[in-house]
Amino acid sequence: MEFKLEAHRIVSISLGKIYNSRVQRGGIKLHKNLLVSLVLRSARQVYLSDPCPGLYLAGSAETPVPPPQQPGEPAAGPPAGWGEPPPPTVLAAWPETQPQPERPAVPDAPRAGDAEPADAVAGAGGASPGREADAAEAAWGRVAAAGGVSDLLPEGLRGARRPCGCPAGGEDRPGASPRADCCCAPRPAEDEPPAPPVVCPRKRGAAGAGGGHAGCPAPDSTPLKKPRRNLEEQPSAAEEDGEEEMETGNVANLISIFGSSFSGLLRKSPGAGREKEEAEESGAEAAEPGQICCDKPVLRDINPWSTAIVAF
Amino acid sequence: LTCNAAHFLLSTNDKTIKLWKISERDKRAEGYNLKDEDGRLRDPFRITALRVPILKPMDLMVEASPRRIFANAHTYHINSISVNSDHETYLSADDLRINLWHLEITDRSFNIVDIKPANMEELTEVITAAEFHPHQCNVLVYSSSKGTVGLCDMRSSALCDRHSKFFEEPEDPSSRSFFSEIISSISDVKFSHSGRYMMTRDYLSVKVWDLNMESRPVETHQVHEYLRSKLCSLYENDCIFDKFECCWNGSDSAVMTGSYNNFFRMFDRNTRRDVTLEASRESSKPRASLKPRKVCAGGKRKKDEISVDSLDFNKKILHTAWHPVDNVIAVAATNNLYIFQDKAN
Repeated sequence: MEFKLEAHRIVSISLGKIYNSRVQRGGIKLHKNLLVSLVLRSARQVYLSDPCPGLYLAGSAETPVPPPQQPGEPAAGPPAGWGEPPPPTVLAAWPETQPQPERPAVPDAPRAGDAEPADAVAGAGGASPGREADAAEAAWGRVAAAGGVSDLLPEGLRGARRPCGCPAGGEDRPGASPRADCCCAPRPAEDEPPAPPVVCPRKRGAAGAGGGHAGCPAPDSTPLKKPRRNLEEQPSAAEEDGEEEMETGNVANLISIFGSSFSGLLRKSPGAGREKEEAEESGAEAAEPGQICCDKPVLRDINPWSTAIVAF
Repeated sequence: LTCNAAHFLLSTNDKTIKLWKISERDKRAEGYNLKDEDGRLRDPFRITALRVPILKPMDLMVEASPRRIFANAHTYHINSISVNSDHETYLSADDLRINLWHLEITDRSFNIVDIKPANMEELTEVITAAEFHPHQCNVLVYSSSKGTVGLCDMRSSALCDRHSKFFEEPEDPSSRSFFSEIISSISDVKFSHSGRYMMTRDYLSVKVWDLNMESRPVETHQVHEYLRSKLCSLYENDCIFDKFECCWNGSDSAVMTGSYNNFFRMFDRNTRRDVTLEASRESSKPRASLKPRKVCAGGKRKKDEISVDSLDFNKKILHTAWHPVDNVIAVAATNNLYIFQDKAN
């Protein structure tokens, strides 16, 4: 189980690095990002394969705290740069992913650092994958209480983000089908399954793109309902066959992000310093970080956790 | 490269390579006719007599002037340059390609290695370092992020995509971790002066390879094995991506590489002894000997030992060099360059 927590933490750190690399001076470092993506893949593999049903919570519902964006805890959350995108992106992701009631527990456990949330998590033991929204709610509530701090949630949010918003454990996934929509399958943006329209304010080109991200965004009722419906609808089923696909798709998407950033360099004739800027822009697909996050497959489908929060 | 008492130096940043001429000047001419001592031009009509300028000694001055600029040949970040034994050509390597240049020709280069996949999504490794063989001008090696080294013979084909030799040590499954791939990425590769061996540096160790044996290194020296349990923290603070260099001494009997806390390590290949030294002001008074240091990996810390947790990871020695003949070494700490010399026995 420690592996799972560790893996989760590593995933979140890795994502933060990838994101940061896009804005750092000197351009994207291909080597470093390649290594980070390998770590990400390893961590994800461990995370998905670690047979640890004990992570899933049961329990009474409690009012979850909407996670305002906070400058993260240095340890695991992606840096402030992440601030804007997550919740809206997550909303987009939610319907595509399987319900993960258990998941909420995970990100907080390591961060809380104390035994309590971990125990709560473990105590749940044997929770069935096909958990319902209530349980998810409960999970959040309990963890929030255990963690005792609302800022754990945003941490958890950010930390929990995974490149494909796919459910934590293969076996846990109340599978719907080949929603191999572990959106990590190498699908271009267009193919994204019907996301709730609310989704990401940025996605819709909403005005506030640059600005707030304040956790659970305003237009709530729709996203609230949608995820819950999905939660209930999902039949329990194993989802292992989705694994393989996610695997390569995930890495492929990550590489394509770097790749697309470089394709600009390659197309251009050697133009000295211009190359880098041009590559960044063409790869970025959008002027501002917020939109980049939304558009890229990797970041788009990232965080079912925060959607869970939104749902409550 | 030396020529007429001037030295040439090839340097590079991420994208552009420059050839510099470095010369020392310890004399200057005095007594010009057309300008006075301050350098101001004199009015030619006011000159009534001519004199021959005289060379007078002056404080030694080192001048560096760029002589050639080799630009626009690399799409990705350059990680290595290596002058060939013919002293006419050199290679430059970036993440995916290696180019061959002639020192006199700046407007074109030849691509000799290209590992860029047709589809960047399939990228699995990058080139991390490359070097020409010290004697065979047709042989070069390049290391990869996967911990492998390829040796290429330029005579075999124009594009050396297929190695003549491929050096890879099988991974030890018992030490597998999330970071196995990162720590196996080779940060530097150096031929021995003899040309018979080569050395690779990965995050935790230095390996010596016999060019005649591709299956595994002949020696492995642990640089800072105590960091193996800290990999996750080192990943978080990015230290795990630090690229340490390594070097041979003139006789190939010892190798040296850097570490953290301004420590650097030397390994004697014959006696199998190693030593940890520190490059710091405090420990480097003139004519004082460097005291060997020791890192305490765990358990009870002895006096004079340093515990792993008190190592300063911001003080890293990435670059070291050993004089090709004498026992003089140069060690680059963050803001200071230290030059140490072996005491004559």
